[in-house]
Amino acid sequence: MHKVKAVMAGSVWKVLVSAGDKVEKGQEVTILESMKMEIPLEAEVEGVVSEVKVSEGDFVNEGDVIISIK
Amino acid sequence: MKQLIEDLQNRKERAMLGGGEERIARHRESGFLTARERIDMLVDADSFIEFGSLAQSDQPGCEEKSAGDGLITGLAKVDGRQVAVQAADKTVFAGTEGMVYFRKTRAIHDFALKRGLPLLNLKEGGGLRIPDGMGADQFSQMLFWDELLTHNRQVPMITAVLGDSYGGPTWVAVTSDFVTQLKGTTMAVAGPRILEIATGEKISSETLGGWEIHAKYTGQVDSFTESEEASIGEMKKFLSYMPSNANEEPPVKETMDDPYRTVDNVVDIVPANKKRAYDMKKVIKELVDDGEYFELKSLFGRALLTVLARINGRVIGIIANQPMMFAGSAGANECEKATDFICLCDSYNIPIIFLHDIPGFRVSSDAEKLKMPTKIMMWNQALAQSTVPKISIIIRKSIGAAYANMCGPTMGADFVVAWPTAEINFTGPEVGVNVVFGQQLKDSENPAEERKKLLESWGSDSSPYAAVEKHLIDDIIDPRDTRKFLSQTLEYSCARGSKGEHRLANWPTGF
Repeated sequence: MHKVKAVMAGSVWKVLVSAGDKVEKGQEVTILESMKMEIPLEAEVEGVVSEVKVSEGDFVNEGDVIISIK
Repeated sequence: MKQLIEDLQNRKERAMLGGGEERIARHRESGFLTARERIDMLVDADSFIEFGSLAQSDQPGCEEKSAGDGLITGLAKVDGRQVAVQAADKTVFAGTEGMVYFRKTRAIHDFALKRGLPLLNLKEGGGLRIPDGMGADQFSQMLFWDELLTHNRQVPMITAVLGDSYGGPTWVAVTSDFVTQLKGTTMAVAGPRILEIATGEKISSETLGGWEIHAKYTGQVDSFTESEEASIGEMKKFLSYMPSNANEEPPVKETMDDPYRTVDNVVDIVPANKKRAYDMKKVIKELVDDGEYFELKSLFGRALLTVLARINGRVIGIIANQPMMFAGSAGANECEKATDFICLCDSYNIPIIFLHDIPGFRVSSDAEKLKMPTKIMMWNQALAQSTVPKISIIIRKSIGAAYANMCGPTMGADFVVAWPTAEINFTGPEVGVNVVFGQQLKDSENPAEERKKLLESWGSDSSPYAAVEKHLIDDIIDPRDTRKFLSQTLEYSCARGSKGEHRLANWPTGF
């Protein structure tokens, strides 16, 4: 199980995948917005999205799990 | 004669057992390697020459259980290179320091300086030994030794914290050029037991000086590992980037990687949309030989990267902003990290490459309390005192005072160039427009439209062409030629050696 985590505190601007989606290693899966910047988060492994833990607009803290990939 | 030789052999054999077989067994049961096993793991086979194995505690009655007096010292080769080594022996009075221990550590440090050898420390222990150091008379003879006071970055000092460290081993670690800490160990001034007596604070050793404290908050440790083998691997890796002493240049490592290789991927890595963050490590990976780099303090001051790598076989240091963290804006920790790294590179003749993408310093009331102005100037002053070759590349944003800190023009770089994506200014356009045209916008009938127009014209002022046309920066380069540009210019900058004047060698070993 690989977890995509927030690199810093911010709000979830875009969720680019849904549960069940296949993702490639390096694929952008969400974009956070913080300090007026768009911060793309990538899947570090190839796999299938098992859970999306956030919705667009949610505030997340550094280290929060955003997406789980199996 | 034969009898005398036998006697010597017996003594040396006994000395190999340190604090005795029972203590060795207990140490191993706790999951740790012995000092001798650590040395074996670190050095090339059969290369260790030991000094002082017959030394022992000078305290009456302790002679039998104090072989080496808690410290093993000697010379050896690591990957074929000559080094000096010292390893704390936890089995002798818990690795604490007696008078003979001090004499040994001083002797090996003196030799390392005299003959220009890196000093590798395998450390742990509880600091000054009690009762040896007790009493005004004893303690007056046991204060800090030279390697902690006037080492002055003459030879690389490389330390692994492999067990709980208080006092002595902690002083050695924070004085070193590179420190790696084994996860699960503690590094602090004094242990929880002393804290409890001193202030009544009850705290676990992990919360006091565990790896996460140093990784995220103190920056006193450069790397963290899961095993002793990995710690020793980190020491060797760091050594591979270092010269043996400050009078030499770092070793060149031949590479098959074409120095003029075009780095086409950077075009996709760095978005033209300046609001979009990207991972600067990906850019670094493209630029350096074989995509290999060694990052220091990866979890401390994360908006700034400090890495060692090679270009065309030559060791370089890179200071780069990390847009993924706080948009790349530097705070107090980033300033300390940059200053520390400049001192390291300048002292050991390592050219520094700067990669800018910074929207300014991370200002806040908290940052002011952390002496942000002092931290910013400390970094700038280190930069101004440094004399190794420096090459500065403005990848994207370089805004405000940070443009200077990242070695912008007039800050002593050999070359300052920009990518066409660069944006250079005193403030970002949003702030600038508000400050300069605040009243005009207030009075305007259509402020939103007018603001948009003003922002557009402000944008063109921030273009790198405005600077290059007046020859305030040296050139604007095709991003895909960045590796080639660095390879070519480093050849000229280092043609007569990368050795500098080492004006930072006696700067503090932490900030």
